[in-house]
Amino acid sequence: MRTLPVLAAAEWGGEFEGALEPINSLFRFPYFADWGVFSINRTILIAWFMTLVAGAVFLVAFRNPQIVPGKLQAAAEGIVEFVRNEIAIAIIGPKGTRFVPLLVTMMVTIFFLNLAKITPFMMLPPTGRIAWPLFFALIAWVVYVGVGIKEQGLAHYFKELAFPPGVPKVLYVILTPIEIISNLVLRPFTLMVRLFANMVAGHILIVITLVTIHVFLPSFPVGWMLGVFGLVASPLVFGFELLIITLQAYIFTMLTAVYIASSVEPAH
Amino acid sequence: MLATLHVLAVENGDGIELLPEAPELIWGFVAFALLMVVMFRFVFPRINTLLEERQQAIQGQLTEAEQAKGEAEELKRSYEAQLAEARDQAEEILAEARTQAETLRREAAARGEDEAAQVLARAREDGEAERARLVSELRGQVAALAVELAGKIVEKEIDAEQHRELVDAYIDELSGLS
Amino acid sequence: MDNLGNGLVYGLATLGPGIGLGILIGKSVEAMARQPEAAGMVRTTMFIGIAVVEALALLGFVLAFAI
Repeated sequence: MRTLPVLAAAEWGGEFEGALEPINSLFRFPYFADWGVFSINRTILIAWFMTLVAGAVFLVAFRNPQIVPGKLQAAAEGIVEFVRNEIAIAIIGPKGTRFVPLLVTMMVTIFFLNLAKITPFMMLPPTGRIAWPLFFALIAWVVYVGVGIKEQGLAHYFKELAFPPGVPKVLYVILTPIEIISNLVLRPFTLMVRLFANMVAGHILIVITLVTIHVFLPSFPVGWMLGVFGLVASPLVFGFELLIITLQAYIFTMLTAVYIASSVEPAH
Repeated sequence: MLATLHVLAVENGDGIELLPEAPELIWGFVAFALLMVVMFRFVFPRINTLLEERQQAIQGQLTEAEQAKGEAEELKRSYEAQLAEARDQAEEILAEARTQAETLRREAAARGEDEAAQVLARAREDGEAERARLVSELRGQVAALAVELAGKIVEKEIDAEQHRELVDAYIDELSGLS
Repeated sequence: MDNLGNGLVYGLATLGPGIGLGILIGKSVEAMARQPEAAGMVRTTMFIGIAVVEALALLGFVLAFAI
């Protein structure tokens, strides 16, 4: 697949030929330790590092917790309080406090994995590889189905799920397949695709911005202005990506909470 | 849908991969699971104890404040009682002073009147006594004068004793007239 | 022709969600302006709605690159 046919103007100084081709080369990195299914590549190292950072931040923040918090502790507490009040309690209700640790861990991990997208020397979000959104979505799916079965009982949960009450019986012919697919397949699938596509789009955007600078800035007379434009635009692009990163972490956690809420108390 | 994606992914080797690779899935999951363990084992128990401690601290401060407030109210009440008492006392003292002053004034007035009356009476007594004295003195002198005068006029020496009786009778007549 | 196809797929995929997001966010802002005390609830619901609508556009995006 060819990308960027307009920008790839070699005759104007832009030597894009092969820079972004194939598009997969932006995301897929070769394995340098080949141990079968336990092989390691650059993306995995980044994911490890970012997970480590996420854990370290919380461990350091709560290493010696004070009643009157310091700066880092106040920030970490702010995150926990936010998830607790704005997501768990506001969406799930009083029962939501049980899910605060899971939701906090999920949000923080997704945030830090996304953050690798604009972190210097990494510049690659592990969540831009389908594996990470997939297992986050799987965790959300397992949790909300498990909670539904635990709270309502196996038979009752699936009955409510497939045959929503308060609907004329004839409509079940259409409604039941839709409900089953939407509740059990589309929910995790959209969770996965939302995070994945946002990260892919953001990564491509950043790569295009940086490659534009790299390619056009040295070619002084003609394409130079385009390089300067890229140079000016890149901080804005990074800021925008930071916004997307935070928002996606928030939305993923919030939707997980919404799905858990629908399992805790079925819609009537 | 997954089947479609699989077909798409297999057919287009250079498109974005839509199927996960096993190592990334496994290692990502392992990293996340480890983080979960760390958070559940080390971070959230601490957060919970911290929240409890903070709750207790705030509770303690609240009860303390409540106590202090109660004490202050007690103090205020006692002060107010004292103040009211003092005001009552002051009023009492004032009333007492007022009645005292009234009685003093009345007494003084009465005493004044008495004294005036006494003075008047004494003056009257004095006057009376003086008059009596004068009268008796005058009586003596008048008698002597009259005797002398009569002796001179009559040239007949009357016995002094007779004379005195005569004059006394005369004067008695006079004073009875007057 | 390949590129044209990709562009068309993504362009068409953005049409509906674009209109939907406009209506959704506009109405949410209206609601928040009318009842500022309910802003938190409206915002949460708005984000849920955005997430649902956005999924369509993102599906188009992914398919545009994957095809």
